[in-house]
This record gives sequence, structure tokens and C-alpha cells, in this order.
Amino acid sequence: MTPQKPESGDFRRDEVIAGEYVLGVLSVDDRRRVEARMVLDRSFAAMVGRWQDNLSSFEDEVEPIAPPTRVLSTIERRLFAEAVQGTPAGAASGGFWNSLALWRGLTLAAVIGMAGLGTINSALLSDPKIASPLVAELSGDGSASMNLFAQYDGENGTLRVTPVAARQTEEKSLELWLIVGDTPPQSLGVLPQTGNGEIVIAPELRAKIGEGTTLAVSVEPFGGSPTGSATGPVIAAGKARNR
Amino acid sequence: MTIDDISTLIGRVSLRDRAAFSELYKNTSPKLFAICIRILRDRNEAEEALQEIYIKVWQRSDRYATGETSPMAWLSAIARNHAIDMIRARKPVANTIDEAYDLADSSPDPEKSALNSAEGRRIDTCMQQLDSDRADAVRKAYVEGLSYQELAELFNVPLNTMRTWLRRSLLKLRECMDQ
Repeated sequence: MTPQKPESGDFRRDEVIAGEYVLGVLSVDDRRRVEARMVLDRSFAAMVGRWQDNLSSFEDEVEPIAPPTRVLSTIERRLFAEAVQGTPAGAASGGFWNSLALWRGLTLAAVIGMAGLGTINSALLSDPKIASPLVAELSGDGSASMNLFAQYDGENGTLRVTPVAARQTEEKSLELWLIVGDTPPQSLGVLPQTGNGEIVIAPELRAKIGEGTTLAVSVEPFGGSPTGSATGPVIAAGKARNR
Repeated sequence: MTIDDISTLIGRVSLRDRAAFSELYKNTSPKLFAICIRILRDRNEAEEALQEIYIKVWQRSDRYATGETSPMAWLSAIARNHAIDMIRARKPVANTIDEAYDLADSSPDPEKSALNSAEGRRIDTCMQQLDSDRADAVRKAYVEGLSYQELAELFNVPLNTMRTWLRRSLLKLRECMDQ
């Protein structure tokens, strides 16, 4: 299998980074960057998957050790107590963000994003029509619960993001990230909790937003990522194009 | 329990089948627990890690694609990623992926290539083509979750030498398995 040439153009280096990730020798920051790239770059994700498969045979010689029986009961209590809260009644009282259905939907969106992003990107990029507003459709999948439409106005530096499925938001925030090439994602800000509104882009970041830059949205603790890097799942991503 | 059985269990778990989850746990947790103990070197931490790992297994079971990867490789990747994140957070290491990588030129050996079957080779065969200390370092990084620094100390070589060892070994392995 020869994966398609990744965008970075350095196939061998990418193979090594994917291998280092699977070996586990990278730093925490580097691990998050590799994972972010896996979401956005399908062939790179395939490299990582291949190393995981190849190296997993090292586990064959590991002798299994039975865990204490209490571990399973703790896991089941944690999981299935959450599931009870995720019933429609629970969702009504616990709010949109606590609904299990939503979290399952987001997981699905992230996966399909990974599998289908290449296609989405190329579809976006193959339509380089001229003229003004820069838009990006940040999509997971039609059946998933989160789709966003971002519209950037270069004149006044405002970015309008409309989560298509946004409703009441509690406890979690959606944070918008700008990814230029291989650089680490930079936060553009936290989306308004109302689910519809504008983010004013910091002046120093405005020049970076252009055709081909990637916008991504992650789920973060209320108020945004505490670390400055995306900590939650990336639920949507898309490349900007001129419309 | 065969690979197909485990695959089927993961599929049932993705349909929120709790009995399947319990059976999957019973059949696979001793392996994943051993992986955690080896990397974390602490039984209590390994127990905590195992909880988080199976919660992820439940949540991500709908992402498991039969045929793309073996079910044990999928499960062990979840376990290893969690355990590695824990130790790297506990003992931070330097960021490296922005640095220049010292990678040898690609030089497939035509004679060796001619011997290879079309299906590619197993990792074991390719590991045997590495110098034995480099092969050991690759295996220890993976199996014990050692950092570059720890490997450099263990093998008594400078840190940069260890990085070059592992990176070139990864390329050699990939080239060998591609052949």
C-alpha cells in the first residue's frame, strides 16, 4: 500500500512521525498535534493505523494479567449511570450538552470527518470561484448532529459561525481553531453560547485567514480550552474557499 | 476466543449491547491490563487507566471498522494511547516534531527486494534485519513506553543518537514491509 502523498510533501518524515506516535516517544503536545492532523489528513491517519497494526504483534509476548473484579463493576456503573441520564427525560433536565445521543452523534461526526474529509476538501477546493466572502462549511456528516457554516468578512474582521444544530448550550463550549499548513491550531475564540453569532478575529490573525486555511471546531470545557490547544474532540473541520 | 469473535463483540457493543460489553471486557481486559501495568509500572494507576480505556471502548465502538485493522490492535491502541498519555503527562519530554529529522537516504537493496513475496513481510522478519540493539530499542519503546531519554540512558548513547536510531529504524521497517 502506498498512501497518497501527504500535503506536507515529505512522505518519509511523515512515516517516521506516525511511527514515533505509535511507539509512544513523542511529547504530549506533539501527540495532540499528530491526532489533529489525523483528523484532517486521511492518508496520514492511514499511516498511523498501519503502524498500529504492524507493531501490535509486539504485544503477542505480553502475558495477560487478570484485573481485580471490581474494575468491571466500576466501569459499568459509570457507563450505564450516564446512559440513564441520557434518556429523553434526562436530556430535558440535563440539557442538550449532557445528552448521550448528542455525544454519540459527535463521535460519529468526528469519525466520518476523518474518513471523508479528503473528499470534502477537494470538493471545496475544486470550486475556486472568484469574488468575495470567504466561507467554510465545517461538516461532519448529514446524519450527525453538528454542522457549522462559517462566513468571514475580511472588511471588518468578523467571522460569523452558525451551528446548524445548535440549541441550548451548557457546560461545554465550542472553540474555533485556525490551522495554516502544519502549524499548531491557533484559537480564534469560543463560539457564542447562544449558538449563533460572530467572533471578532484578533487583528494579528486576520492576515492568516485565506483560501485553503482550515477552520476546525472542538468541544471544550465551558469558556474554552484551558491549555491553549484543542483538548476536546474535533467535531467539524473544513477548508476556506472564496465563494 | 477468535479474532472474529472479538470483532463481533465490538460490533454488538456499538449497538449498545451491555452483555456483549461485559463479555468483551472479560476476554480482552487481562491483555489490556498487562499493557497498562507494563507501561505505567503501577498497579493502581493501571486499574484507573483500565476504567478509562473501557469507557473509551464503549464510546468509540462504532468507529471500529472490521477489516481495516485487527480488533486486538484496535483495542491495544486505545490502551497504549491512554497509558502513554498518562506517563508523558507525568514525566514530560521535549517537543520534537518541528525539528529537522536526520533520516538516511532511501536505499532499497535490489537483491533483497527480489526475494520478497508480493504480500509484504511481517514485522518480525523486518525486525531481524535491524542491528540487534536498534531492534531492542524499538521494541522497548513500544512495549515499555520508554521515552527517547530513557532509551538513551538504557543503551548508553547520546539522546540524539537514540533519536536517529529509532527514526532510521522506523524507515527501514517501513521499507522492508513495503517490499
